[in-house]
Amino acid sequence: MTLAGSLPLAVAAPLLGGALSPLVARLHRRLALVVGLLSMAASGLVLGLAASRVYRGHPLVHYLSGQGPSHGQVLGITFVADPLGISFALLTVLIGFFLFSALLSEFGEIGEKELGGLAALCQLLLAALIAAALTADTINLFVWFEVAALASYGLTGFFLERPIALEAAFKMAVLTSMAGFAVFLGAAMLYADRGALNFGQLHASLAGPLPRPVLVGFALLIAGFATKAGLAPFHGWLPDAHTPVPGAVSALFSALMVNLGVIGLVRCGVQVFPSGHRMLGLLTAFGLVSALLGALLALVQDDLKRLLAWDTVSQMGLLMLGFASATAEGTAGAVLHLVNHALFKALLFLCAGAVVHATGMTSLSQLGGILQRRPLVAIAFTVGVLSISGVPGFNGYVSLDLLHAGLEHEQPVLWAARLAQVITVAALFRAAWLGFLRRRREPYEHLAAPRSGMRLSLIGLGVLCVSFGVFGYSIIRVVAGPAAATVLHPERYAALALGRGGGLPVVPVEFSYFGAKEVVPALVELALGLLLCLAVVRYGEPAPIRPLRRLHTGSVNDYAMFATVGVLVCAVTLLA
Amino acid sequence: MIVANYLVAAAVFCLGLLAIMLHRDLIKVVLGLSLMEASGYLMLVSMSYRRHATAPVLVNPPSGQSEQSLVNGNVTDPVLQNFCLTAIVIGVAVTGVFLAIAVRAAQHYRSVDAANLTELHG
Repeated sequence: MTLAGSLPLAVAAPLLGGALSPLVARLHRRLALVVGLLSMAASGLVLGLAASRVYRGHPLVHYLSGQGPSHGQVLGITFVADPLGISFALLTVLIGFFLFSALLSEFGEIGEKELGGLAALCQLLLAALIAAALTADTINLFVWFEVAALASYGLTGFFLERPIALEAAFKMAVLTSMAGFAVFLGAAMLYADRGALNFGQLHASLAGPLPRPVLVGFALLIAGFATKAGLAPFHGWLPDAHTPVPGAVSALFSALMVNLGVIGLVRCGVQVFPSGHRMLGLLTAFGLVSALLGALLALVQDDLKRLLAWDTVSQMGLLMLGFASATAEGTAGAVLHLVNHALFKALLFLCAGAVVHATGMTSLSQLGGILQRRPLVAIAFTVGVLSISGVPGFNGYVSLDLLHAGLEHEQPVLWAARLAQVITVAALFRAAWLGFLRRRREPYEHLAAPRSGMRLSLIGLGVLCVSFGVFGYSIIRVVAGPAAATVLHPERYAALALGRGGGLPVVPVEFSYFGAKEVVPALVELALGLLLCLAVVRYGEPAPIRPLRRLHTGSVNDYAMFATVGVLVCAVTLLA
Repeated sequence: MIVANYLVAAAVFCLGLLAIMLHRDLIKVVLGLSLMEASGYLMLVSMSYRRHATAPVLVNPPSGQSEQSLVNGNVTDPVLQNFCLTAIVIGVAVTGVFLAIAVRAAQHYRSVDAANLTELHG
């Protein structure tokens, strides 16, 4: 079997693990999660071998059951391991491994049936994410979208002791099913008009003026993936879905699942859709609104996990700004930030989960004093906050600077991104101060002991956050640069998907670690963010945010209406 | 004939969307989603109809035979029909999950009013 031919094994391993977990849970309940660790290791082995080739400029292509291109047409399933896809797949495996380790220590005590189901759903979701990263055709992407969606409904509604889990699962299911329907209809309309499913074939067929059904098809695809990515105005489900679930599951959603939407948006909106159209403007608009809205609402949340979830909305918006900038720096920064965001958001959610597990509280106004009682958790959370704030030396610094450098040709967008960053810094430092660092005189009624699996995950992710910051330059050269090149040269990706091999172009990415243009803005944003944080802690919720909070009524009907408006915006922008 | 199909699909779709946006009854929201999906099926089978064309599976006809000798008249694109079957299967699974959540909500709140499900907001 060739290396390219073994790519489906990277998906098959977690799928098989998902089937086995409930069975082996009968022998010993913890075995269910051990199977998860093993399936991640197996998948990681295949992907690691493939990555060693891909990052050296030899992308891999595999047509399932040998249904390769004939006369430039492919209907079969195509797996393409390009630098962007393989980076996300490897990231999924890495974080999946840490999440299983954390779950093993946090939930080793629940019943065997529950643990088997939990492990199975997690592996199903991870398998869908790995497959979505590698797939190169619209319908296959839709299938993995739905697999991820069904697994995520199960995970959200899994711990039904809290009735809000039901509520979150229902809202998520309504919005995600609408998104799935949009993706499906969009893919079918593109196929009906262009006769193409394969991304390469589709890209080749889109030269010249585009008829309306094609534009409507793309509008539906964009709306569908934007829902999965949690971009405003499709974001209603996201903060709710993260609130009632255990920390490790929130981490799985925020660090990895929303990125499925980002990958879908990049594939369909940037790599397949011909450039020079309004698409990039549309993505920039969604990105801007999400970046600012998410940051503002994160600033005033009282629930720790909900705060982190709102920050995910903001970060996804930032990623979209980078991908839509169509510059080498912006795209490379977005790829790197996708990886970095997954690392620090997984770390932050695991810390939040550890705190909730230990104290049984989620409200920032009640928490506090974690630094004295659980120093490791508090330090890990602080590392995450420093990373997200772009402090030099941590991973967020490199990717945020690159992203901002890529936005320089559009000054208003750049300033909005900087503003969002200032608010993000304030929101996260507020969480760190209120929840972890400030003193708390009265002892906690109940404080569970930390466990070794959780410690391993926190230390592992924390070390990764720091090392991705320290070795930022090599990671740009090896990972982000080649990935940006595939995004910026869609014709090369199209040729790959159609099996017309060849190497990948090289795009130079300029970055100097200690340049004044990089360090000074980062420090200014940090300082302003800290000032804003002080002001919010001292004087409470700023008045301008109140109408925004009132807009999010929690009603599923309203959120569906927001999403419908979003679909109309997509359609009108592309058709006009 | 095909135009009528598209019109009906659009009408059913709008009906489903309105139900999702306007009804607070959880079951009606689920019904609205099912209606939307059903409109998708109708649209797919209508789109698969190809007048004077050949199905894409006939790109490479067997030696000695031409596309025209294999297909006489109008065809339906089998790929879109396959999508339709896939969509029906996924739709059933999703509806099942929805109804399970609705049943649990009804057991807990003793009603199916979506207004109960607004504890998470802002």
